[in-house]
Amino acid sequence: MIETSPTTMVVFLLYILGVFVLAGLSHKLLSKKSFLSEYFLGSRGLGTWTLAFTFAATSASGGSFGGYPSLIYSHGWILALWIASYMMVPLCTMGIMGKRINQVARKSNAITIPDVLRDRFESPAIGIIASLTIVFFTVCFLVAQFKLGALIIEDTFNLTFSLAYEISLVIFAVVVVFYTSYGGFRAVVWTDVMQGIVMGIGVLVLIPIVMAKTGGLENATKTLAQRDPIAITNVPSPDGAKGTHNDLAFQATGEIHPAGVIYRRPEQPNAPLSIVWQADQPEDAYVEITMASDSTGDAISTGNDVKQAIEEHSELSSILDVILPYKNDKIEIVDGEKVSRGATGVIGFPGETTEYKYVMLYGHELVFGPGRNNTGKPFHTLGMVISFFVFWAITGMAQPSTMVRLIAFKDSKTLNRAIMTVTVYFGMIYLPIIAIIIAARTVLPVLAPEDSDRAIVLVATRLVADMGIWYQILGAIFIAAPFAAVMSTVDSMLLLISSCAVRDIYQRSIDPDVSQRRVKIISYSTTAIAGILITIAALKPPDFLQLLIVFGTGGLAASFLFPTLLGIFWKDMTRQGALAAMIGGFCTTTSLFAPTMFGGSRLDILGLHPNLWGLIVSMTLGVVVSKMTGPAPEHLVRRYFYK
Amino acid sequence: MPLTNSESGENHASASQHVEDPVFLNSLREAKIIISIWALAMVYTCTYCYLYGYESHPSDPAAVGPAVSSWVGPLESFDRDPTTLTTPFGLGIPDWVFYGVVAPWIACLLATFVFCLFVFKEDELGDDEELAPAASEGGSSDD
Repeated sequence: MIETSPTTMVVFLLYILGVFVLAGLSHKLLSKKSFLSEYFLGSRGLGTWTLAFTFAATSASGGSFGGYPSLIYSHGWILALWIASYMMVPLCTMGIMGKRINQVARKSNAITIPDVLRDRFESPAIGIIASLTIVFFTVCFLVAQFKLGALIIEDTFNLTFSLAYEISLVIFAVVVVFYTSYGGFRAVVWTDVMQGIVMGIGVLVLIPIVMAKTGGLENATKTLAQRDPIAITNVPSPDGAKGTHNDLAFQATGEIHPAGVIYRRPEQPNAPLSIVWQADQPEDAYVEITMASDSTGDAISTGNDVKQAIEEHSELSSILDVILPYKNDKIEIVDGEKVSRGATGVIGFPGETTEYKYVMLYGHELVFGPGRNNTGKPFHTLGMVISFFVFWAITGMAQPSTMVRLIAFKDSKTLNRAIMTVTVYFGMIYLPIIAIIIAARTVLPVLAPEDSDRAIVLVATRLVADMGIWYQILGAIFIAAPFAAVMSTVDSMLLLISSCAVRDIYQRSIDPDVSQRRVKIISYSTTAIAGILITIAALKPPDFLQLLIVFGTGGLAASFLFPTLLGIFWKDMTRQGALAAMIGGFCTTTSLFAPTMFGGSRLDILGLHPNLWGLIVSMTLGVVVSKMTGPAPEHLVRRYFYK
Repeated sequence: MPLTNSESGENHASASQHVEDPVFLNSLREAKIIISIWALAMVYTCTYCYLYGYESHPSDPAAVGPAVSSWVGPLESFDRDPTTLTTPFGLGIPDWVFYGVVAPWIACLLATFVFCLFVFKEDELGDDEELAPAASEGGSSDD
């Protein structure tokens, strides 16, 4: 395996240093201006480039550089349809509400989104509920982002010792929490601009290199469509942890393809490992592997045992290749030499689990829809196609971290130019990333699901490591790109949490006469405390990054879209209507997601995503309750809808 | 349709003696235009990709979401397989992605520019009292 070069590490460190410098500069400005509106809003002075890049970098989140490439790696071209709504994201998310919400915020002197809602409806309850909702969902979102940030550090510096992830996580947390809490909104925005440019350049430069090193996209797509089927396992160890040297990839190489692989818990003590396969009905015959057990009946077989058993099997040995996925080969240092130990982890069956089933995925399933995941469920069904088209463009509009940027820009002209800039920028990033990952699949190692988050980082680090010094500097930029994406999302989210706590909960609800000095102390410390709590949660992060992000993004937007949208465009919206819309959206989305917390799957009624139902319920409640409780107070209508 | 304001004007008769806020009116008009473009893009992209980019079009709603096949008849003739794969212009992009996603993406990019340059009104958004020097943040001590 090629390792990251020292040049890359140096450039990476310089980049982090640059972020600190920006935080220092913006901290200086803080002492000159009104603290709260500067700390949380940059004194409403965003210009075209700052608005465009802070907007793009925030919404292009770690999702695009972690979860998104990971999904492309697992499901292929269908991700073009999954992300297609981004063709309209800049125009929808900035154009629909931008001008109007900025104006309403000015009318009410609001500096946060809960502020806007509280003043528009003259309701402290709405302000507080909005703040709490933001804090809840943002924390979910941030845990995933912290995990990704730590993985990038771990990968960049080739950390392979036992606590590598934990230490990387702490480093990441310290960097981000420090510059965010020290520099405030303006530091976040400036680093966003720097990071946005880094991300854009990263992708643009990566394209020709990947194409040259992999034989091009045309070749990659055609090869992929014809690829032999592969089943990639993703089993936990006895304590439930995943990714601990027990995953294997089974590639079918013969004329006959098994349907997949099933691991079974041993049924009695002291049983040997056994393999059953009905070769006469290959279409639906799974390779059934029952683990060996010890004297207490617990499974004791490791990945290596399974690999060996398949290789010694009379029929399967000729039609199945067993491959160790990336990072699943345990390397030990013996007498200064690296020795490969293979998949040494025990395949465990924690809790009530009695079997794991993994299907063979054919290459053509990565070229056409709907694709499948490794347990065999279809990936992007028609219901999801519709849901995601609504999700990115419409739901995305109501992300609080997006909306806060819309109340921070300087004037209409700024907004107009920024929409065009972001449109071009997204076009340059999202589709090319698909091309990069698809082409790079041909040279990347097989990635187990928990490692597929690393796909883009691996492309960036491995492909350029053996090229000249200039390429290595460019390589470092690619590594900074995903890192930049994560940081720019994390910093604005952290600030969002502390702005809710300080402005909406403390200053406006507990102590309106709080002094500037005290506000400062509280602001710095909430940002820092939030960072610490999230770090602790990210120590044992949940399985799949993107699910969490979708959960967080959808939940927030389902709570805020209609209260805000109807609030600024519909005179008859009442405070009760807004409250009903907010609570209804939140409850619908979370309750449809709730089964996932207990090991089930989320409820997609009629095949549509919970977020879509959240929006539908939220809108209906908003309209119906407003009609029932109207008319809206006249002074509010006059204030916000008339000159 | 809650986004219209015609009938609600009458509900607030006493307010109507004032002039309606032009930023509100312009924004509402622009919002409706944007939503229409988005809806158009959605109908085209989702329909095209589902018809021409999917390997199977089953009629079981549990498996695929809305059971389109049960409304419009069997869609099996649209089922794709690897032998029919083409990549227009040698770009390596599967045909259905090229016509179903890349092409409308370019169209939306153009539509966004047309909107920003010719439809968008550059309204005055008003002053911000709080950000004026006399900040109303209740600060007594300032360092």
